[in-house]
Amino acid sequence: MSNQPVLSRSLSLGGASAISTGLAFAALNFLGMAQMLDYINGPIAWIAVLAGGVLILGVRACFSELNGIYPTAAGIRLWMARAMNDRLALIITLTYMTAIVFVIAADAFIIGEAMAYAFGNGKLIAIVYVALLLVFATLMNLRGIKLAGSLEKIVTSVVVLASVAIGIIAIIKRGPTPPKLLDGGSPLQALILGIFLYTAFEWVTTNAEEVVKPKIIPRAMFIAIFVLAVSQSIFAVAMGLNLGAEGRASAYPQLLVAEQTMGNVGMLLMLAVTALTAVNTFNGGFVTLSRFMYAVAREGKLPRSLTKLNNKAVPVVPVIFLGVSSLILAVVVAVTGAWTMIVSMCAALEMMIYATAAFVVFRLRKREADTERPFKLLGGRPLALAVMVLFGFLAIVSSTTVGKETSTTPLVTLAVIAGIVTLYVFFYLPRLEKREAEELATRRAERAAKRSAGEES
Amino acid sequence: MNDGKEQISAEELEKALREYVERANASPRAQKTLATWTCRIHIIANDVEAAAFTFVVEKGLSLPIKVGLQDTPDLIVRGHSFDLAEIFWGDANPVSNYMQGAIKTQGRADDVMRLDAMAMFIFLNQ
Repeated sequence: MSNQPVLSRSLSLGGASAISTGLAFAALNFLGMAQMLDYINGPIAWIAVLAGGVLILGVRACFSELNGIYPTAAGIRLWMARAMNDRLALIITLTYMTAIVFVIAADAFIIGEAMAYAFGNGKLIAIVYVALLLVFATLMNLRGIKLAGSLEKIVTSVVVLASVAIGIIAIIKRGPTPPKLLDGGSPLQALILGIFLYTAFEWVTTNAEEVVKPKIIPRAMFIAIFVLAVSQSIFAVAMGLNLGAEGRASAYPQLLVAEQTMGNVGMLLMLAVTALTAVNTFNGGFVTLSRFMYAVAREGKLPRSLTKLNNKAVPVVPVIFLGVSSLILAVVVAVTGAWTMIVSMCAALEMMIYATAAFVVFRLRKREADTERPFKLLGGRPLALAVMVLFGFLAIVSSTTVGKETSTTPLVTLAVIAGIVTLYVFFYLPRLEKREAEELATRRAERAAKRSAGEES
Repeated sequence: MNDGKEQISAEELEKALREYVERANASPRAQKTLATWTCRIHIIANDVEAAAFTFVVEKGLSLPIKVGLQDTPDLIVRGHSFDLAEIFWGDANPVSNYMQGAIKTQGRADDVMRLDAMAMFIFLNQ
């Protein structure tokens, strides 16, 4: 590794840590905390958050190993295709990508509801706020306006520090409260939601090509997990101490915590923090998914219309598709109030991808045993297998639970999405691949003809 | 380490790059969409020692290829000489090669995407 390249602009450890933390700290996390408190008592809520963090360290080790072998934005496609059939890899990847739509829709919905609460508006106006937010985010993306790296660091720092500060004030004001037994408590469900609070931290691996030292990404993920563990433990305890079941069932429990603690000023401050979390989500989510769709379409695995670029070099169709699908989903959630289902589906999708990453580590340890690994999962194949089984089990549990109810709706919805993707991969994709192969063959033949004509003359 | 691929000489790769630059400058779509893009790219063939080039795009205009690695790059593209040549000839899809790990890049994702967009405008006439 002595021949390390130098780049004019590279991502620092601080920048990578901010990206990892910012992507994980979504507005949806506050609803995750509220749901978690249905299963664990407020004063000991930190145990679930920390336990989730410990398990996430195993996931981080898997992603670090894979990122070390394939330090590329295409990592997930690349390492899955190396470990399993390419068709299956594509089905899993495209199904997993719907999680980003869910998170964007959920964040828009939460901010819309929070704004409506803060300004005393009704449900209809909340939907208008949601629509305006998503239209604004879509337009910003179409114009190629992105949050600069330094601003991303500031936004993430403000979100974390403000959440910690409000959380500490809320705990201090409430005073010591002894934990008591919770009716209907479930350590397993609390743990799943504890893990949910870290999800998306691994998306920073798509920035692997922007760092000059391979160790930066694993370290950044570690820092992010630590920061998320501390900040969210504090806020979860604060929420548990200050809100009853009714407050936690709202779409803006974080606002209620701040309002109870610091009055109207606190509530507005928390509204600003919530909006900032969405800045990170919209910035990261829109860019990640639209560029990924563009790349897969350029690869010839999605329709070519998705490669259309505007004059700002932004993939127009994926950005509009993302904006419209998030808007539809957010409106459905606002009308039905089914945000608990969004939490379940996102959790299930993330657990699924964590189980898949562990499976890939397990498989590649044998298939590509001689490949250099800058970072290795301690415990090797047995631990990878254990992580896979654990997160596979948690994926099944989260996809069959909505709030405190057992429900197969998330599982059925995800199965329908995966089914549509499967139909696409097996019945439509072969046509795209055939066309791509024909075009390349034509270009090769044209070049060969030109070459031989040149040689003859 | 050559995976059975044909090795392309540094001269041939340079020629492919020069043709690519000509085509890029002849594409009105590439000029228009990449008009704000400035990027210094190092192109390195892993299997041919002398095959290292500097390709500079200045506000969408591709400057003549320079032999060797000059100044600090914004983007580094590495790969087998055959894979690189196929991309610059237009015989291979750069993203397929990238997704399969045949081509490795270092630098900002935006720059990688714009470089690919340039190939798309040149060879797919978009």
